[in-house]
Formats: sequence, structure tokens, C-alpha cells
Amino acid sequence: MQIIKKTQLKALKVARTLGPLGVIETLNKKRVVGRGGASFPVSDKWKYAIETKSDKKYVICNADEGEPGTFKDKLILIKNPETLIEGIIIAAETIGASEAFIYLRGEYEGLLKNLRTEISSIIKKSKTNVSIKIVMGAGAYICGEETAIIKSIQGFRGQPYFKPPFPPVEGLFGKPTVINNVETLVNIAQALGFSDYDPDLRLFSVSGSVKKPGVYEFKVGTKLTEVVKKAEPAGKPKAVYFGCFGGCMEYKDMELTPENICKEECIHGAGTIIVVGEKTSIIDMAYIISKFYTFESCGKCTPCREGTIQILLLLKKLRAGKGEKKDLELLKELAMHIKETSLCGLGQSSTNHIISAMHNFPDEFEELIKR
Amino acid sequence: MKITLNEKAIECDGNKTLYDICKDNGIIIPTLCRQENIHPEARCRICLVEMNGKLVTSCSTYPKEGSKIVTDSEKAKNARKRNTELMMANHGKSCLVETKSDELCKLLKEVGLTEFRFDKTKNYKQDLGSSVVRDNNKCINCGRCVDTCAKIQEIYAIDFAGRGYNEHVTPYFEKNLASVSCIKCGQCILNCPVGAISEREHIKEVIAALSDKKKHVIVQIAPSIRASLGEEFGYAPGTIVTGKMVAAFRKCGFEKVFDVDLGADMTVMEEASEFLARLKKGGPFPMITTCCPGWILFMEHFYQDLFNHMSSCKSPHEMLGILTKTYYAKKANLSKKNIIVVSIMPCTAKKFESTRVELDSGVDFVLTTREAAKLIKHFNIDFKNIKDENFDSPLGVSTGAATIFGATGGVMEAALRTAYEIGTKQKLENPDFKVIRGMDGIKKGKVTINGREIKFAAAHGGANVRKLIEECHDYHFIEIMACPGGCVGGGGQPIPTNTEIIKKRAAALYSSDSKDKLRKSHENPVVKQIYKEYLDYPLSKKAEKLLHTKYKKRSQF
Repeated sequence: MQIIKKTQLKALKVARTLGPLGVIETLNKKRVVGRGGASFPVSDKWKYAIETKSDKKYVICNADEGEPGTFKDKLILIKNPETLIEGIIIAAETIGASEAFIYLRGEYEGLLKNLRTEISSIIKKSKTNVSIKIVMGAGAYICGEETAIIKSIQGFRGQPYFKPPFPPVEGLFGKPTVINNVETLVNIAQALGFSDYDPDLRLFSVSGSVKKPGVYEFKVGTKLTEVVKKAEPAGKPKAVYFGCFGGCMEYKDMELTPENICKEECIHGAGTIIVVGEKTSIIDMAYIISKFYTFESCGKCTPCREGTIQILLLLKKLRAGKGEKKDLELLKELAMHIKETSLCGLGQSSTNHIISAMHNFPDEFEELIKR
Repeated sequence: MKITLNEKAIECDGNKTLYDICKDNGIIIPTLCRQENIHPEARCRICLVEMNGKLVTSCSTYPKEGSKIVTDSEKAKNARKRNTELMMANHGKSCLVETKSDELCKLLKEVGLTEFRFDKTKNYKQDLGSSVVRDNNKCINCGRCVDTCAKIQEIYAIDFAGRGYNEHVTPYFEKNLASVSCIKCGQCILNCPVGAISEREHIKEVIAALSDKKKHVIVQIAPSIRASLGEEFGYAPGTIVTGKMVAAFRKCGFEKVFDVDLGADMTVMEEASEFLARLKKGGPFPMITTCCPGWILFMEHFYQDLFNHMSSCKSPHEMLGILTKTYYAKKANLSKKNIIVVSIMPCTAKKFESTRVELDSGVDFVLTTREAAKLIKHFNIDFKNIKDENFDSPLGVSTGAATIFGATGGVMEAALRTAYEIGTKQKLENPDFKVIRGMDGIKKGKVTINGREIKFAAAHGGANVRKLIEECHDYHFIEIMACPGGCVGGGGQPIPTNTEIIKKRAAALYSSDSKDKLRKSHENPVVKQIYKEYLDYPLSKKAEKLLHTKYKKRSQF
């Protein structure tokens, strides 16, 4: 696996000789993109932060891996924290920040001790001025959203706010802030440290109806069947979910490229694949995932706060066999409405699983109103 | 910057939001959580428009060169309608039945919502505070009250708690409003678009008192009411309706209609004398006014180090209330027990003030401007066509100095007029202190009394108050009003109250003052008479007992 190869401060040395603009150029050339879900080019994000003049800047490592079925960052935090910390130092030194934060998922408390030891040892070895603090999340899913992280670190309610201003221009405490995912920061160090760095390799968290759930590394564009086979499906797979927010599609022989996945009304996201077996009903999945979003919506904006609970109530009605055709239509309308009008990424993607399920498994929904 | 607005190419300022650009071009987009002077949080998602095919909130989005903005597409209209419908699920349809003029009702019409397909998902207990009452069942989580409390007033008494559909507005630790450091200013009420926050009503109690034959019920009316009550009956903001107001209350059945302006004149006498005494003694400075009960709570909760800087004067309506029950009662040969004093105030904090134990209150009930209008409507009085009448004697004679108590800076100006003349024994040629007028957050000025330079300042609105208090030791005399604009912007005033309306109400008070023959409190003949017949002189033992008060330390939490 490329991701667990340690750069051993080589990358930092390279970054220091290249200087900020050189680093940006290299990252651009090596096509390093965000692995948190949006696949935004790292070099662009950093460029804004470098260009914005400020007495203080910040780097935040987003380790609030809250997406159901996603556990790739955990693997990195356990197996390769050294390279992650190096990546953070590179980010900070490149944009001119003296303080960095790791926003660690509340449930990953067990990793805290080891991470702290690694931080102090790497900082000593690297002779950097950058200080790295760990901030623990308290378990809210929304705090994986970058503006919610900013609010949370500042001590406010973890709720997203309207962008712009984007964090690289005005973020934590009103100062330019770069926020990158764990996998991205490791990729950054590796892109600088290894001449044979392969940007197409990415991590897949495979779980669900498989015998060997775990983190696997594949190239972008690998066939879905190949990925799932590696994890040894238990029984015949019917569908896969790209995490809760990515939506679901039929299990088939298809190359996993963002374009292909988009055609299925899904989003690739953070490389999450939840395999669903033949015996599982898509409606049950929709109900469970809707429950999750009803609970995890932060409550700030109307469509997400009021909409998610109404979706849940509609699904409850439909599952109980009390639904009619107009309820199905309302479900679809509401799902589209929440996607189009919510404030942040959570709300906007909270109904992807319904939209894609109704698109890819229409029969199961029709079945609900025949009874 | 060039953009297209509804297929029309226009030139616009790129630093303006889409909402403002549309407004400049004659298109008013429905909004709900948007609030003047506050950075938009884009919570409610009502003001949606299409920008380059994507739905965006117009209150918080800025255009880019060549953006295509569509405000009236089916997509945008439907999206607005759906979000309103989602809000209505928990607000309940009661607002369709009641003929209320709140913003949500207007919004329903604007977006044309007629379908209600969603069920209620939650239930809350009412929070019955002593002045302010909250009903979360009506709340639509627009966050205007929270933003007002935090950003305009800087009190932070309420915030959101819970998440998802269970997110709700609450005082900290889920306590009720009465037991937290809320200053009861009522600014949240003015900004609530759905009536989820309101004053604790006392209309029923007043009606019961009015129908009790044994009781001698007296009403006293605050300075700012004459400039705002008219709005509740369709007059333009800033219309003075003193005569109609007095006539209407008399018709409601009040025995006497007294003017709190007289109480204000008494306050000026006491406060100016107190200030002159401090000048002689050499401090402590600054002396801070205490007419505003919101500010008193503010100070008791957050600035306990200022106790000896506060003037000890009661607020004008409390002074008049106690004078009614003592001086007037003696004169009219009435027993104190049988007198009920009702104050008409622009204020919700006054409701709390009248229950304070530190203060021997002469006031039994306080009604806000809104409640007063409800009371007049309850008695089916045709306000617009009623003939003007005058206040009752003896407690109904006022001066221009008292009238301007209703606007920020007014108390300071009135006190300076009297302090100057009593202190120097010379005539003040120009009684206007224009530096202390207007809507600037903090206003400062200087005046020389007996060769001594006096620095004075006034602040209004909690955030400005906090700023002025930080530097207060540079001044000799400070006036503080908790509400933006002073009493004309008070939490009990008609809804809507915004900066523009506040300015009009204040302007009306100042023009009334400039037309007044008596413009200085110590010239008020009734004030002179009261001192001569009853209180002897300002700060006399009797005056100290009746017209002055103490303060109490309260927790910050």
C-alpha cells in the first residue's frame, strides 16, 4: 500500500528547498486532489491562502471521519501518523501558518495518546516553529463539514455557515485557513517525498455484506466488481452504497470513475463502499439512513431541519403500507427540494440516497403502494 | 459589474447582495430571517433566487461578472413555497385563522402557499417569564431573536440548543427566561416574525380593575407613547397623537389620565441635583442615569463594580406612581389601597421593574404600547375619530425636557438644561444639546458649569453600552438606554420597529419639544408645587425616601 509508506521527513526537506510556490507547482503537476469527498485540487486551495495577506494563518487537519462505512483515515492515523504530521507541517510552512489543529473524531479517543507522542517527536525532529494541537470532536456528524469545524474549534456550536468567505481567505478566528483531509495531507507529503508517487491510487473503505471488510487501495477507475471481490462478498451483492451521502447503485461491472458514478445519480465521495446483499430491502436502507440524517442534521436551515424528519415520516408511512402514489411523489419532490436548497454539504447530500434509490430501484418503491 | 436580471441586462454594484440588487431594480424578494444591520446567516432559505441555474439565497450571495439571475422562475417560486410549507409544519396553522399581522402570515400570501401536507413533529412547554414570554411551538428557528440578543444587545441570554428537528431556542441550560441574565429589554419580541416571543400580557388584570367599582384606576403614559401609539391605528410613524390617546384612555374608564412626563421632570430635578451634589463632593464620576430598567438589570448582572456610580433615582413612571399614591391620594382624599396605577410604557423591562422588592413601587400594572392598543380596541373605541382631550390635573403638566426622554440622549439633554441653570444660576440661552441627539451608537459632548468642564456621553443598544462602559471613567455624566434608539425603539413598541421608524418617532418628540413653551424641567409649575407642598426640596429626606432606590447584585448566569 502506498498510503502507509513513510516519508521520514524527506518530503519536508524537499518542500523547504522548493519554497511555497515550488510546492504549489509540484502538487499541481502531481495532481494531488482533496480526498475528503470534493476532489478539489490542493494547489488551488493553498494558493488562495498564500495570496491572502494576514498576520496569522491556520492549518486544520480534518480527522472527523464521521461518514458511515468510512474508516480509511483511522487506518492512516494508526499506521502512518508520522507522514500525516509531516504533511501538516508542510502545509503550515507553505502557507505561512504557525499553528495547526487536528480535529479528531470524538470516537477516535483511543488514538489520542499515540498521536500526541508522534506529534511531539516529529516536531522536535523537524525543527519547525509550527505547533500542532489536537481538538476532539464530540460526536456530531456535521463537524466533518469544514465551516462547522471552524465554529467548533472556536468554541461555538458546530454548525456550518454560509460561504463565501471561503476558509482560505477568512476562516478560523477570521484568518486564512487551509483545511485538508487526513488522506490528502499524507498524499501531499508522499507526492513531495517520493519520485514514484502515484496520484491515481486511493483508499476504499469496503464494508457491509462482505467477509473481509477493510481498507483497500485501488487505482481510480478500477472496476467495482474487482473492488468488492477483494473483500469477498457474502452471498450475491445487490447494490452498493457510496457511504450514506453518496447514494446507491446496482452492483454491476463498472469502472469507478467520478463520471460513471455521477451517471448513476451517485457521488463517489471519500471512497466508501457499503455492499448490500440480495436479501436486504432498499426501502429498509432508505429508512435507516434517513433516521441517521434526521438525527445528525444540525438544525440550522429549514429544508434540512424540517425536511429530513418529514422524509422519515413519509418512509414510515410507506413502509407501513399506508402510502399512496402521491406520497411517493412527495417523497421525490421533497428529496430534490432538500438537495437544492440546503445550506451546507450535509443537507445537500442528505437525500442523495433517496434520489438514487428511486432512480436505480424504482420497482421496490412501486411495490410499497401496491399493497 | 454587468449581470442579467430576469433576462434584462443591468449594471450593478458587485459589493451588494442579490437581495439588494433586486430591491434597487424594483423587485422585492420575500425574506424571513434577514435582519437589518446583522450579517445574514441564511437560515430560513426563503429568499431563494436562481443564479446561473442554481438556487441561492439572495440575502447572502454576491453576483459574479455575467451572472444570470432569475427571480420569478417556477423553480425559485416553488422552492420558496416548499420551505415556507416546511416551516408551517411546526408553526401550526393557527396563524391562518388569527388575523395577525406577523411576517409569516404576510409571507404565506407572498409565496402563495395554500397546501399544508406536513405534520407537526414536536411539542414544547411555554416559557413564562416575568416580562417576556416564549412559545417555542410557534418558533420557526429563524434565529432573529438569537442574533438580536447576541449581536445588537450583546446579552447572550438565548441561543439554539438541540440538533436536527429538535433544534430550539432556549436560555442557557434549558432554564426559563426569568431565571437567567436576560435584561428583559424585549428587542427579541420586536424582531420575531412569528409572534413566538411576546410580552407577559396584563390586559385582563387591567380590565378587571377597571370594572371594579371600589377601585380608583389611574393611567399614566410614558413620553414616547404619544409618538408611536398612532402606528397601531394606521397613522404614519412619527405622528403625535397625545390628545386622542388621552381621550381614548378616558373612554376606557380610567378615572385619571396622568402624564409620565411630569415624572420625568421630577427625575430631572432629583438627578440634576444629585449630579451637582457630586460635583461639589468631587465624585464618584461618572454618574450614570437610571431611567432605563433594562440597563439597571444589565448593570446588576454584568457591571456590579458600577453600583456607586449609578444615580439613585427611580425611573420617571415609578416616581410618578408613588407620588400618585402619596401626594395625589392625600390631595384627593383617597386611600392608597384603593388606587390602582397602570403605566403605559414602550418597555417590557418596566413590567419587571414594577415587581422589584428593592423599590417601593407605586405602579400596579405595566402595559406596553402594543397592549395599550389592544386595550383600546377591546373597548371598541374609534381612535381615529375621537376628539382630542387634555391630561388631568394635577399630575398632567409637562415640559419639552420631559418629552425628549423618549429618545436616546434625551435624559442627558434634559438633565443638562436643569443642572446648568440651577448650578450656575444663569439662563441657558440655547437649550438644544444637538451633539447628544441622533442614532450614533455612542454620542459625546462637553459643557462648562461654573468654570468646570463637564464631559458627558450617551449610549443606546447593548453592544454600544458595553463599549461605552469600558471607557466610562473618562466622563462625568453618562446616559444609558438598553434599546437601540432609546424608548422610541423600546421592546414594547409597535411592530415593525426599525431604524427608519425609530428616527421618525424621535424626530416627532424633538419637534414637540422645540414648540413647547416650557422646555426646562425646573420651570414646570406642578414640579414647583410638589416641592413646595410636599417634598420641600430636591434630595430632601422625604424625596430620598419616595423617589430614590437601591440596587441588587445578580448572577451573571
